[in-house]
Amino acid sequence: MRPFDLLRVAFLNLWRRKLRAFLTVLGLVIGITAIVVMVSLGIGIEQATMDLFAGTGSLLIIEVSPWRWIETPGGGGTGTETKLDEKSVEAFRQIPGVRSVMPLVEAWGMITTSRFTTSVSILGVDEETAVDFGFDLAEGRLPTHQRGSRNFEMVFGNWVLDSFYNPKNGNPAIDREGNSMIKMTNRFRMTFDWMNIYDTGGMPPPENYSPGRFYNITPVGRMDQMSNRFSFYSLMDVNALEQLIRENRDFIGQQPGGGYNQVLVKCDDLNSVASVKMAIDAMEYGTFSMLDAVNAALAQTRQQRMLLGAIGGVALLVAAIGIMNTMMMSIYERTREIGIIKVLGCRMGNIVTLFLAEAMLIGLAGGVLGLGLSYLVSFVLNVFREAGSNILSIIPTYLAFGAVAFSVFVAMLFGLYPAIRAMRLSALAAIRNE
Amino acid sequence: MEQSPAGPFIDIRGVTKVYHVGDVDVHALRGVDLQIKKGELCCIVGRSGSGKSTLLNVLAGLERVTAGEITIAGQRLDKMSEAEMILFRQKYVGFVFQSFNLMPYYTALENVAFPLSFRGMPQKERNAQALDILTQMGLETHQRHKPAQLSGGQQQRVGIARALVGRPELVFADEPTGNLDFATSDEVMHSIRDICRAQNKTLIMVTHDQHIAEFADRTIQLLDGRVVDS
Repeated sequence: MRPFDLLRVAFLNLWRRKLRAFLTVLGLVIGITAIVVMVSLGIGIEQATMDLFAGTGSLLIIEVSPWRWIETPGGGGTGTETKLDEKSVEAFRQIPGVRSVMPLVEAWGMITTSRFTTSVSILGVDEETAVDFGFDLAEGRLPTHQRGSRNFEMVFGNWVLDSFYNPKNGNPAIDREGNSMIKMTNRFRMTFDWMNIYDTGGMPPPENYSPGRFYNITPVGRMDQMSNRFSFYSLMDVNALEQLIRENRDFIGQQPGGGYNQVLVKCDDLNSVASVKMAIDAMEYGTFSMLDAVNAALAQTRQQRMLLGAIGGVALLVAAIGIMNTMMMSIYERTREIGIIKVLGCRMGNIVTLFLAEAMLIGLAGGVLGLGLSYLVSFVLNVFREAGSNILSIIPTYLAFGAVAFSVFVAMLFGLYPAIRAMRLSALAAIRNE
Repeated sequence: MEQSPAGPFIDIRGVTKVYHVGDVDVHALRGVDLQIKKGELCCIVGRSGSGKSTLLNVLAGLERVTAGEITIAGQRLDKMSEAEMILFRQKYVGFVFQSFNLMPYYTALENVAFPLSFRGMPQKERNAQALDILTQMGLETHQRHKPAQLSGGQQQRVGIARALVGRPELVFADEPTGNLDFATSDEVMHSIRDICRAQNKTLIMVTHDQHIAEFADRTIQLLDGRVVDS
């Protein structure tokens, strides 16, 4: 039979028993709605969990450190250390799924302006990769540096301007209205030698002491307070910072072995985080990703989500059994008719496809109407949800299409047995005369 | 049709059919030998239980024989699988039922065209072929009527048109007038005989009505599963 004829005949067969077909479809509508709404709430829970963590830093960033904690049986563990240097950074860049790598170069310095001073933690950033790691600025731009220049650009940490004080008496640089007396337009200098700022208290300087230099600082921006874990830092160009660290070894102290304490690795997308993390783990570095925390949180809600899905599944199962029941009844009712079409030359396969086509139409109608009802229920749930609840019912496109496809699949699956039964019916039924 | 002109169109040799009903074996056919030529109009008569319906069913490929050979148009029916049997029916066999067995929700035209849809024929072609045969049966004015709007005789003529629409070589009719009154029976029998003659179809008909049997070229008498007179 031609597909169009097949569908037309199947549709007519259902249409002849409108009420029954409608009731069967209604069962399926309820089943599909139940499963779609339950799954949509599950997705809502997942989304809410993800959102909770999204504010605390990018889920795509893996933090790598030289130290790795290896658990030993019995609850203890040992730490191992693997050198983290330019070579490791280069190796990380080669891992598929890695977008960019940023070693954290940090230093601690003192900034002065007129008679006031404050201490800052400085993070070296590369203008190009910094974009990937989300340094959000409240104002200004990221720092750059021209090789050889003795003027250094800096983005101040959010609170830096408010933290200046007079080192002689400890008074903060705040005026009577409580505003900082220090402006971005001030002239700033920085040193790494504390003896340039503080009184040594009469202690003689160590042998071979030569005072640390002062560097001119031009503030070019200010970090955003809420953006991320970096808002605490002030930023400098990484090459400039490394140069200052070299020039001030005596005051800063040497990093052991010249390696980094931490390297940040940004992945292309959520799917690559796990594999990248595994690759770095295999190099025996310690890794941490916010995604781990998210996954742990998601694991806690998994049971909740599975329960929701199960409720929907039961409703769908009941509907599917309803389909099977309706079709079995319809086959017994139509025994004679099936016999007749067999005598008229309908092939075995035609009969199976005819009944499967009926099941498919029921599934399609149930799926489409069920999806429509799901959107309505989802809308109502979202409008009338409890105040303060951040759990929404979310129906993504794949769920919508998946629901209709699943509905058709389930209907056809449960229609298969009746269809085969119909095929096996004897053609003789047609000629038996009541 | 691969067949020597001299040989019979239908060749039945030693056909038996045994039904197992509970522990009892019912012998419906006890060794039937029969040859039927192409274009012959045959009538199988016999009392109730003589095995005439069983003979028709095995000839039409609706039931399998217990033993014996059936050759129709050079093909061994007793050796076919059910799927092959269906293909055979589709190609060679038209069937007229006692109780018409029209689809009540289809029009006369749709009913006649229905078997053609199983062959994958497009609707336009189907309807043209169906209308042609309905016209031959004198029912072109009733093509849009549903079976319930037709008289018994008209319904059976739609049934005959449906049996013939696929241009089968062989037409089976099981008590075709069993549900009709005397006058209508005659009318229907004339239709069926004339169209089979005109198109050189082989007709095998089962009836217990001697009057109906007179329309046939040949009467085959069955008694207790055996041919007693042919």
